[in-house]
Amino acid sequence: MKATVGTTTRKAAIGIHLILIFGALLMVGPFLWMLLTSFKTLGEATQVPPIIFPKVFQWKNYADATVTLPFFTFYWNTIITTVAKVLGQMILCSIAAYAFARIEFPGRNVLFVFCLSVLMVPSQVYLLPQFLLIRDLGWLNSLEALIVPGLFSAFGTFLLRQFFLSLPKELEESAKLDGCNHIQIYFHIMLPLIKPGLIALAIFTALWSWNDLMWPLIVNSSPEKMTLSAGLASLQGQNMTHYPILMAGALLAILPMIVLFMFLQKQFVEGISLTGSK
Amino acid sequence: MEHAAQYRKKQQRRSDWLWAYVMIAPTVLGLAYFYFWPIVQTIYFSFTKWGAFGKYKWAGLDNYEKLLDDPTVWKSLGNTFVYTFLSVPVSMAISIFVAVLLNQKINGVSVYRTLYFLPVVTMPTAIAMVWKWLYHSEYGLINNLLSSFSIEGPLWINDPDIALYSLVIVAIWSTVGYNMVIFLSGLQGIPRTYYEAAQIDGAGPYRQFFRITLPLLTPTIFFVMIISMINAFQVFDIILMMIGPQNSTIDDTQSLVYLFYHHAFVVDNKGYAAAIGVILLVIILAVTIVQMRLQKKWVHYE
Amino acid sequence: MKKRGLTWVFASLLVTMLAAAGCSSSAPPAANNSAESPASNSGNASNQEKVTLTYALWDQNQAPAMEEIAKRFTAANPHIEVKIEVTPWTQYWTKMDTAATGGVLPDLLWMNGPNIVKYASNDMLLPITDQIKKDGIDMSNYPEALINLYTVDGQIYGIPKDFDTVGLWYNKEMFDAAKIPYPDGTWDWAKVKEVAKQLTDPAKGIYGFAAMNANQSGYYNIIFQQGGFVISEDRKKSGYDDPKSIEALKFWYSFIEEKLSPPGHLMAEWDAAAKLFESGKVAMMTHGSWKAVEFGQNEYTKDKVDVTYLPKGSVSNASVIHGLTTVIAANTKHPEEAWAFSKFLGSKEAAEVQAQTGATIPAFKGTQDAWVKAFPNFQAQVFIDQAATANPYPVSKDTSKWNALETEYFTKVWGGEMKIEDAAREIATKMNEFLAQE
Repeated sequence: MKATVGTTTRKAAIGIHLILIFGALLMVGPFLWMLLTSFKTLGEATQVPPIIFPKVFQWKNYADATVTLPFFTFYWNTIITTVAKVLGQMILCSIAAYAFARIEFPGRNVLFVFCLSVLMVPSQVYLLPQFLLIRDLGWLNSLEALIVPGLFSAFGTFLLRQFFLSLPKELEESAKLDGCNHIQIYFHIMLPLIKPGLIALAIFTALWSWNDLMWPLIVNSSPEKMTLSAGLASLQGQNMTHYPILMAGALLAILPMIVLFMFLQKQFVEGISLTGSK
Repeated sequence: MEHAAQYRKKQQRRSDWLWAYVMIAPTVLGLAYFYFWPIVQTIYFSFTKWGAFGKYKWAGLDNYEKLLDDPTVWKSLGNTFVYTFLSVPVSMAISIFVAVLLNQKINGVSVYRTLYFLPVVTMPTAIAMVWKWLYHSEYGLINNLLSSFSIEGPLWINDPDIALYSLVIVAIWSTVGYNMVIFLSGLQGIPRTYYEAAQIDGAGPYRQFFRITLPLLTPTIFFVMIISMINAFQVFDIILMMIGPQNSTIDDTQSLVYLFYHHAFVVDNKGYAAAIGVILLVIILAVTIVQMRLQKKWVHYE
Repeated sequence: MKKRGLTWVFASLLVTMLAAAGCSSSAPPAANNSAESPASNSGNASNQEKVTLTYALWDQNQAPAMEEIAKRFTAANPHIEVKIEVTPWTQYWTKMDTAATGGVLPDLLWMNGPNIVKYASNDMLLPITDQIKKDGIDMSNYPEALINLYTVDGQIYGIPKDFDTVGLWYNKEMFDAAKIPYPDGTWDWAKVKEVAKQLTDPAKGIYGFAAMNANQSGYYNIIFQQGGFVISEDRKKSGYDDPKSIEALKFWYSFIEEKLSPPGHLMAEWDAAAKLFESGKVAMMTHGSWKAVEFGQNEYTKDKVDVTYLPKGSVSNASVIHGLTTVIAANTKHPEEAWAFSKFLGSKEAAEVQAQTGATIPAFKGTQDAWVKAFPNFQAQVFIDQAATANPYPVSKDTSKWNALETEYFTKVWGGEMKIEDAAREIATKMNEFLAQE
């Protein structure tokens, strides 16, 4: 009996690997393209039909990308903005999500839909009034303009609400008997249980903050207040784009995101194992 | 005695409410101030005729009347629906499948997860370049492969009957990584004991999936569905990068948000553009409220 | 500054934590900030001694030359500093539009033909006609077509900064292989078509000519050359229903119908032609002087391609000329300093700095040699010569509106959904409606 289980799982494992490898090949294509392009010459990058491998790897493109732009200022601004938004959202969204999920109060559904409605209008649509708001606050050309609106997230509140909702009721009932108030229940009992949700939120908030392009370009002007992705966009010219340098810059820009993801996704391994027999 | 208990219960409820309001206040007020208020102003703009640089005058329902008569609005609304209702379910099914596979103790799981996540961090320009090359009618990889089997490939993004579906494929491709991360996090919330119990009952992987994983994942599925629908209704980037104004299939592929962009930023018709934004809000709001109502029928909360 | 940012982040987090944990807080962080803010915008300008001007532009390639000009200017005017702010082309006009609506345009900004009338006639810019007169600037140093481009209602808004014209680019290797002499100033359009027939090889996917769906580098030139027009001189009437314009457009599109050009759906995208040209799939195409930078850097094209005068039409072989200028925002707090810098930007010295980088042809008469020398492989002088006879780039108040019509309808033509003469007439009808509203 045990032996057959072993062979089927091994067979299954091989099958799973085959499926995953096939999928992975489909997924990484454009990324590999980006990587290869970053090593090409301008001529190789513009050929039709495309040349896949560069003849000589042009490491120079990476140096050029960092020289053309004040990369380190951009990095710094992006890191500050991203860290602030991630921490801010993890705190604010989880507190609000707890209340939406675990406390009955008048107007709960209306207020929740109100939060969601903010997601239903694409940000381009209200760009102008939002810009005027930031101007009236005197925040044009500042990191505040990038950070403060980003501390509030309907997406994050909704995401974490779902996690809080799936926790059993007995948790807070016993805690209440012990005399805990809501902040204590939220912080000591519930928050540790929604760690996977917080990690997912951290990944997305970091990613969106890191890649945000339009907003920093509209509210900020000077290079000292610019973020990476916004700065990189200036490598795409009206008449000419040096794609290899652009891609090299983009790779340098997203590398921290890949590392961050590799680190954070490790937190997902504590879960269940479906086949279970190992 | 009984009165006192009731009174205390009422007190307790009051205090609960207060806690709730205090806890949601920062987020709700922040969203109201930085997002909702600008949206309200936009709704106001939709009733104005917009001149250059913020000079507007009240126009009543003019924009909306024009909008109802504008065939491109209806056409792009149709495109948006096709796009949403094709891409969302397929993407979700694939991502659940991938997330379940990547939630097991298999070798190299970290590597796989990272690879599946790469489309999310890949530069949009690179994504568009690769897909455009794949779809290229003359020199594209797909048609070259097809021609080696002596099949004449279609004009993927240049044929008005096909272009929208070519975009749906790109959309599915680019959202699987996002959804996978959310599903992975959702899978962590399913207690291991359920599976152990199921195994003792002799349930195989398929039954475990349909009896345990899927039902207990429904809160996450609900979330992904709402968010994916909202995002799909707002599709814009892919259309601008892969089709753009200089492809004659644009009429057959443009979404409402693309149309908004055209009116707001290309031809400087911001009042009309705002009206398109409002229509989009109304549609998404309606779809979301319906989903919120229906969730009781299929979403399992503890 | 960095330090302040960090402090702010921690402060904001602290505030939010307190608001969330303190239970009794009545004012959320957002509301707090709104109360204290409006003062900070106005306070810092009062210091008359040192002035910082902001200067917005969109081309990262030209940023070094602009920095150098700013540096020289500050050396001569130590109390004025100029801060260059690059916004990518794709977002530039959205940003300027938003900033103008909010009354916070940068002190100086790059301006182009399609946008000048809109900004100038809505009082977003400062006219400089009086200053030009007062400081005795000799406007004959700049191409007349460009001065006219930036003159709105009799007021000049900018000294021309640079210009671009269009030439006939060709692949020397493909001509050598077919033993056909290179094109030169004597060619007319019939000759181009004849040679295109000889060079086209459908089996190899090689085409003699690329008929792009592009206005300035494409069909505008031939419309003027055949005696047609895009917009009447009083900017009241569209030229797209003019029989000569339509004739010219039909000829342009005939390259695609006769399969001497890559298929229409490929040529509809305006940068597709250049890519095919750089890949040796296209023997000839018309394209702007700005392409010299790219073709010069690309190792496939730098010694294989060259450029010559546009072929002759029935009236001329003239190119369309366009160029940029720097304008002063009406909301600037330092109009005098801004004018001082603007004047320096128009000077011969600034023109020479620009020329040396090769990024663009300076507008100042006699400074173009350095630009020509930056491209030893090409007959770059062609572009300078074409400027003398060039036709001005057509504009009106809402240029973007009818530019969008051109794109929309001609894209349908290139996609094979519409006949070009019908498209032209449709454009004329709708364009006249827009012009009547202006």
